[in-house]
Amino acid sequence: MHPLERLVNLVALLLESPRPLTFDEIKEKLSEAYGHPDVNSAKRMFERDKDVLRDIGVPIEVVPVDVWEAEQGYAIRKDTYYLPEISFDAEEISALLVAARSGGDESTDAVRKLLAGAEGILAGPAGSGLGEVAGGPDPRLAAAGDAVAASRRVRFPYRTARGESSERTVDAYGLVVRGGHWYLVGRDLDRGEIRSFRLSRMAAEPTDLGEGSAAPEGFRASDHVQAGPWGAGEPGSAALVAFAPDVAWWAPKGIAAARVVRTREDGWTEISVPFQPGESLASWVLSFGPDAEALEPPELREEVVRRLEATLAAL
Amino acid sequence: MPPSEGSGPRAPRRQAPRASDRLRRLLALVPYLIRHPGTPVVEAAALFELSERELLDDLDRLFLSGLPPYGPGDLIDVEIQDGRIWIRMADYFARPLRLTRSEALALYLRGTALAGTPGLAVAPALASALDKLAEGLGPETLGGLPERVDAAGGGREVEQLGLLRQAAADHERLRIEYYAASTAEITVRDIDPEGVFFDLGNWYVVGWDHRSDSERLFRVDRIRSVDGTGARFEPRGLPGAGRPLYTPSRDDVEVRLRLAPEARWVAEYYETTEQVELEDGRLEVALPAGRLEWLERLLLRLGPGAEIVAPEGLKDRVRELAVRTRKRYG
Repeated sequence: MHPLERLVNLVALLLESPRPLTFDEIKEKLSEAYGHPDVNSAKRMFERDKDVLRDIGVPIEVVPVDVWEAEQGYAIRKDTYYLPEISFDAEEISALLVAARSGGDESTDAVRKLLAGAEGILAGPAGSGLGEVAGGPDPRLAAAGDAVAASRRVRFPYRTARGESSERTVDAYGLVVRGGHWYLVGRDLDRGEIRSFRLSRMAAEPTDLGEGSAAPEGFRASDHVQAGPWGAGEPGSAALVAFAPDVAWWAPKGIAAARVVRTREDGWTEISVPFQPGESLASWVLSFGPDAEALEPPELREEVVRRLEATLAAL
Repeated sequence: MPPSEGSGPRAPRRQAPRASDRLRRLLALVPYLIRHPGTPVVEAAALFELSERELLDDLDRLFLSGLPPYGPGDLIDVEIQDGRIWIRMADYFARPLRLTRSEALALYLRGTALAGTPGLAVAPALASALDKLAEGLGPETLGGLPERVDAAGGGREVEQLGLLRQAAADHERLRIEYYAASTAEITVRDIDPEGVFFDLGNWYVVGWDHRSDSERLFRVDRIRSVDGTGARFEPRGLPGAGRPLYTPSRDDVEVRLRLAPEARWVAEYYETTEQVELEDGRLEVALPAGRLEWLERLLLRLGPGAEIVAPEGLKDRVRELAVRTRKRYG
């Protein structure tokens, strides 16, 4: 008997059986599969099949079938086997297919199971958006997701943007995706504060250290991930930057809170952007070269000039 | 976007799948076919990423499966007629197997990332699908993930994306006004757009650029205007999502920089051909560059955090740019 037939028959048998079955009973009913004259090799084959089923998530239970617990029976409970009813319309299921294809990981297996709940026959996965998103499996994302879902403490080797490497121990509070990168946010136990860690900077996937602490009241993971070119968190105040016509139309596109204030007679556009003290906004303004000018506040102007002077001095 | 041959993100696996992989697939395929009687073979194969041959091979195994005593009335009934599939006598397989925890987490995470992708047509449907998933599976499978995962920075409309998608589907040549970062100037060019894709936070259109007579990627947020030309083109099968974002050219100049810690992000952000850790804690990188204008601006931004090693003359160009910029501030 082909292994696939044997496995399908075993699932069907245990799923439909009103009570746990012993190996002898299974052997008798599935004699073509486990009727090997050598009982030991038949039992070994059954054990291997059981492992395959467990491996793909079939919940086989081993339960005693007599009061003396001398003999064991095998059962698949319907309520633990069956996926709860979740129905999706055609657009939703196509969207899930697009997401799974962008992952190329276990999400593909997940969507296949969900397809049964699709309303109507799908016209193939040619939904719009297929093949539009780059991505691939990342074991760091799987491990970080697992840790966040169950509030675990994890450890991983991490290299900061500044090139410093160290082992980090973190209570996983949340995950944020921003600008195509995933960040794990949590309490860094050695530093005693909430930090964010870009997954692509982890040299290996996080390993589990046990239960972690709970996130503080009102915690929002996205508050702890750099919000733009000017630094972390909510902006404190606004800065005013003028842009030349060639760049003014695209310069503020990546910045959610940017606002066009006015277009001047010389064709330049003044744009208000969130401002936090620090060097980052000045460096962003400088990335436009002579096509941008920081107008307000004065400390931003001074910072831009200071950096230009330093650049000229170092060249 | 029309699926271009051979350039899909993943070709179907060709090696013989293990029995466990086939079983996993079958335990999802059978419920789908039971609940969708008369599904065309070709559609089922596409949905489950199988060839028709592989699909029929799997279904062949079902004919001999069923319940004891495995008489004619106990076996699963698979009927394939006029290219359509009916499965009967297998009500116990009418519902699929539960999602494993890792399957559910993987899908939820991928879905969240995409639902937050601005301009992706499926994003709204994905958001409602994820809500249903979270409700249907509950914390026993997903744990606390739905409340703790967030896509930030999305939700902004991406102009021109619809026009570009349509032109790629129709193979229509476009005339675009484009801000080329490499030369820091606005250019007008005719392009043959073959597809759009999203990578590392930005949308790109890949196409043939008639101005340079070469394959190019264009950042969609730097396209100022799009006009149809009415002319049609023959697609060249240019690769889309998953391709490197920088295409090296024979005319590239090698730029060598020494990056202080605050400038090291450059090594992550741009394509490099070499990275060497220096004794003093800096990182020396080699970057291929077709034009130097974008580098001048990058170096202005980095300031003393980046030391220019090569090429000759780049320092002068940065100095000239710094002087011009400095003039704005009186």
